[in-house]
Amino acid sequence: MNAGLELVLGPLRQMRRSLLGWGIGLGALIGVTVAFWPAFRGSSGISEAIDNLPPAVVDAFGLAGFGTPAGFLRGNLYEFIVPLLLAVAAVAAANGLTSAEEDAGRLETYLSQPIARRSLFLARSVAVFLWLVLMTAFLLVVQLVSDAVVGLDIDTARVVSTVVLCGLLALLFATLALAVAGWLPRPALVLAIGIAAAVGGYLVAALFPLSDPLDPLSGLSPWKWAMGGDPLVNAAEPWRYLALVVPAVILVAVGVAGFIRRDVRAA
Amino acid sequence: MTVSSAALEQPPLAAAPSGPAIRVRALAKRFGAVEAVRGIDLEVRRGEVFGFVGPNGAGKSTTIRCLLDLIRPTSGTIEVFGRDPRRDGVALRGRIGYVAGELRLPERMTSRQLVRSISRLRGGLDEGRVDAIARRLQMDLDRPTRDLSSGNRRKVALLLAFAPMPDLLILDEPTSGLDPLMQHEFIRMVAEARDAGTTVFLSSHVLSEVQRAADRVAVLRAGLIVTQGTVDELRGRARQRIEVWFADDVDGAELRSIPGLEDTVVDGRRLAATMSGPVDPLVAVLSRHPVASLVIEEPNLEDAFLDLYGDAS
Repeated sequence: MNAGLELVLGPLRQMRRSLLGWGIGLGALIGVTVAFWPAFRGSSGISEAIDNLPPAVVDAFGLAGFGTPAGFLRGNLYEFIVPLLLAVAAVAAANGLTSAEEDAGRLETYLSQPIARRSLFLARSVAVFLWLVLMTAFLLVVQLVSDAVVGLDIDTARVVSTVVLCGLLALLFATLALAVAGWLPRPALVLAIGIAAAVGGYLVAALFPLSDPLDPLSGLSPWKWAMGGDPLVNAAEPWRYLALVVPAVILVAVGVAGFIRRDVRAA
Repeated sequence: MTVSSAALEQPPLAAAPSGPAIRVRALAKRFGAVEAVRGIDLEVRRGEVFGFVGPNGAGKSTTIRCLLDLIRPTSGTIEVFGRDPRRDGVALRGRIGYVAGELRLPERMTSRQLVRSISRLRGGLDEGRVDAIARRLQMDLDRPTRDLSSGNRRKVALLLAFAPMPDLLILDEPTSGLDPLMQHEFIRMVAEARDAGTTVFLSSHVLSEVQRAADRVAVLRAGLIVTQGTVDELRGRARQRIEVWFADDVDGAELRSIPGLEDTVVDGRRLAATMSGPVDPLVAVLSRHPVASLVIEEPNLEDAFLDLYGDAS
C-alpha cells in the first residue's frame, strides 16, 4: 500500500466508531419513522389538520401532502432532521480529522514524516468525503429496505436522489468546517461555524419565504439548492448537485491554502 | 537486552558530502506578543551529538519545530543538510527521525498499527529492526497507544525515530518518563547511532544525559543562546567547590584575597569556597601552609548550567 492510500485510509479507520454510531442513530431514526407509515396511511385526521394550516406554514415545515408517501418522508425526515443530523455528523467528522487532531497535538507524528502538508490535508478531506459516502449509502439502504418492508410506495429514483442530495448538503457544510480548520486549528470554532451554517441555512430556507421582503434571499441557502425542488416528488435538476459539489471543492482548496501557510499547533 | 547494537549498525542514507547538518542564522520566532526565540545562531556538525539544553520555555521546542517546518520562523534562516526545511521539507523529513517534546500519539490504534502506518508513509521500515528496537526498549507493541504510560509512549516515539536509520535524529526531551534503565539504554542507542554516522540533535534538561551523550552543547535561555561549546569547555567554565582543612589556623585575609575564589568561608582551620578559572593561585597560597586535607569537586555540566542561568538572570 502506498503512502497516499495510507494517508486516506488511516484517518478513515479512526472514524469507524463515529461511522457506526451515527449510522445506527440515523438508521434507527429512518427505520422507526417509516414504521409509522401504515398508521398514517390509514388516518385522514392529520391531513385535514394540515390542510387547515396557513399555506406558508405548511411550506415552511414541509408538511404539504403529508398523507402521501413523498409528503410523509419529506415532513418527517428529509425536510429538516435527516439533512441536519447528517450535516452535524459530517462537520464533526471533518473537525475530528483536522482541527481536533491538531489541537490535541496528534498531527505532529504524521507531519514530521516525509509528507507534504497539502497531501495530509487533502487526504483527510478525502477521508471525510468517503466517510460521508459510506454513511449516505448506508442510510439509503436503510430507507429503501424500510420502505419495502412497510409497503411505503415511492419511486426509488426519487429516494436515491433525495438521500444523495442530503449527503451533498452535508458535504458542503463539512467542507466549510475543513476550510475553517485549514486556517484556524480551533475545534470549538470549527464545529460552531459548521453547525451554525447548517442550522442558519435551514432557517433561511424555511423562514425567509414567510416574509415577502426576505423571500428572494431564501435562494442563498444551500438547503434551498438541495431540497428546494422537492426531490422526493420531482426529479432534481443537475445544477442542484453541481451547486453543492463545486463550492465544496473550492472550500477544500481554501482549507489547503490555509494549512500549508500557517504554523502547526503544538500540543 | 541481548539484541543491543546489531539493529543500529547499518549506515544511514548517504548524506551530501560537506557542510554542517544544521545551520541556523539569526533565527527568531514570535507568537503574537511572545518572543519565543530571539535571534539564535547554531551550527551542528555532521556526525556529532549536539546537546541543546535550557529550562522549560527557553525556546528549545520552538527551534526544533522550525527545523521540521512544523512552524515557520519570523525571521532568520535555517538549513538542514544545506536545504531549506520550508522548501524541501518532504525530502528533509525523509532523512530525519523525530521525537516530539509534547508527545501526543495518534489514538485508537495499537503501537504496532501505528508503526505499520508510519512505515507505509515512509515507504517501509525494516521489520527486523523495528522488532529489535522494541525488544531492546522492552515494549509491548500490541497495546493501544492511549493505554500507555508516558514513558511507554516515549518508547514508541523513540522506536519511530530510530527505526528508519535517519541521517539526523532530532530528539526533544526524549527520555522524559523513562526509567533509569531505559535512559541508560537510550544513551547507548544514541552512541551507536552516532558511531553509524547519524547526527543527533538532543534537546534536554536532564543535564547528566547531555553530559554523557553530547559532544557539544548549546545552552538556551529565554530565546537566546547563552553559550555553546564542547562539554569539556563548558565544564571548564563552571565553578568548582573546594574545601581545605589546614593543620594550623591560617590568616583569613590571605585566603580571601586569592583570585578566582568566591563565597569564601574561613572558619578556623577550614576554608570553603567556590572557584572558577585556573587553580594556580590557590595552589600557590596552599603551598605556604601545612594542608591536612583538600577537596576540589569535579565540575559538572549542572554547575555550568546553573552558573549560566545565574549570569543571565
